[in-house]
Amino acid sequence: MTAVGHEERAMAVDQKTSPAEETRRLYEDAETRTARAFEELVGRDSFGELLARMTENMVALTKLGTDFFDLVIRNMRLAGRQDITRLARQLARTEDKLELVLQELERIQSAGSQNGAGARRERG
Amino acid sequence: MNAVERLLRTPVAAFEFTNILLTQGDAVVAVTPKDVVWTHRKTTLYRYRSDRRTHPIPVLLVFALINRPDIFDLRPGSSFVEYLLEQGFDVFLIDWGYPEEEDADMGLDNYVLDELQWGIREVLRACGQDELSLLGWCIGGTLSLLYGGAVADNPVANMVLLTTPVDTRGSLYGRWVGRESFDVDYVADGYGVVPGSAIDWANKLMKPVTNYWTTYRQLWEAVLDGKSRREAYQSMARWIADNPPFPARAYREWITWMYKENRLVRGNLRLRGEIVDLARIDQNLLVVTAGADHIAPPQGTHPLLALVSSEDVTRLDRPGGHIGLMAGSKARTEIWPDIAQWLAQRSTTPRRGSRNGNRNHD
Repeated sequence: MTAVGHEERAMAVDQKTSPAEETRRLYEDAETRTARAFEELVGRDSFGELLARMTENMVALTKLGTDFFDLVIRNMRLAGRQDITRLARQLARTEDKLELVLQELERIQSAGSQNGAGARRERG
Repeated sequence: MNAVERLLRTPVAAFEFTNILLTQGDAVVAVTPKDVVWTHRKTTLYRYRSDRRTHPIPVLLVFALINRPDIFDLRPGSSFVEYLLEQGFDVFLIDWGYPEEEDADMGLDNYVLDELQWGIREVLRACGQDELSLLGWCIGGTLSLLYGGAVADNPVANMVLLTTPVDTRGSLYGRWVGRESFDVDYVADGYGVVPGSAIDWANKLMKPVTNYWTTYRQLWEAVLDGKSRREAYQSMARWIADNPPFPARAYREWITWMYKENRLVRGNLRLRGEIVDLARIDQNLLVVTAGADHIAPPQGTHPLLALVSSEDVTRLDRPGGHIGLMAGSKARTEIWPDIAQWLAQRSTTPRRGSRNGNRNHD
């Protein structure tokens, strides 16, 4: 297509585009550029450094808050978070042991049935 | 719709927009009927009900330790599980559950050598087969690789890896958490279980404008134009907002081994003293990457192909994002059929001695 052809086509497109659509297009372009700029920003080393510090601060604040409330609850002679976690951990370990016992039992059963089948073959 | 009509519709649209946001927690997700096969601690193995199983080799779906595996079965009509069942597969799913503080001592070795290994044993027992296909997505793919690399003579016939991080050099996550100043021990010890919301926040921060603004702006415009896909938006939004915590030990190991030391590629990752040797992986392998994936970019997955010893390797590089690739509106026509076809071709005969010996790139 010639240059004139391109211009005609562009004009035809322009004529079809309403001001509202044009505004929307301009806005979307701006948003795309902003998004790209932010992605570049978060990809910088300095942002990584900031994020590392911010995460540590968040962890510290969460830990302080949790420990404080846990202390208050335990001083009221109620089961605190740590107590419940300790209990749940004991249950989880019991479940681990039960799973291992079940596996061992299955292994013994399987070995037993193989030995039984072998003995029957020898007798027969 | 002209400007006046749009203006008149604005109040109604505002109510609808608010309603969509407020009721997203009630969206229907993961409703394909399934039965519990096995449980251990927070892990549950499910088997999806089906009366049209035609492929003898079952498929075990493994998702990441962040977010929920519901994405495999997002909503009726847009569910990968539903699609696999329609194609005649016997589908199992291992769900890691919602770890809590008592699970802070769960490490990657527990997930790979206990939960996954025992889950595989239960899958084989439930369907009476000797082999299965393992389909891992994101960290679930890496866990599948760890299993394949650590457990010799395992019963995995086919391995499908979707947007799986392998080599993390140069990734945005690597720049954030791989740096020395990011004290992973402090974070892990401080939290016990790293809150899912913190991980979600970090994920969204990778594309801040898109995640915190564009999504809502697009929804608003769709509502205003009367073209909003309420169910599609709500189910995805509900899935994104559902963030289980990450057990501290697993988090510490994941960040240190994968992002700070890149051990998987360097070949010095050990699970319970056993070296994870990716060369042990000789299964039929399908590796799917998404071109616009910022979490597990394709260049971070491709190095795997040089490390495994599989002879039958297929690589699918497709456009799309980390999740959109498999759960987007085009997934049903553009990627699921390819995965199902690849699996179907390799789900009929025993693996050993019957490999195709092809390396295909698409």
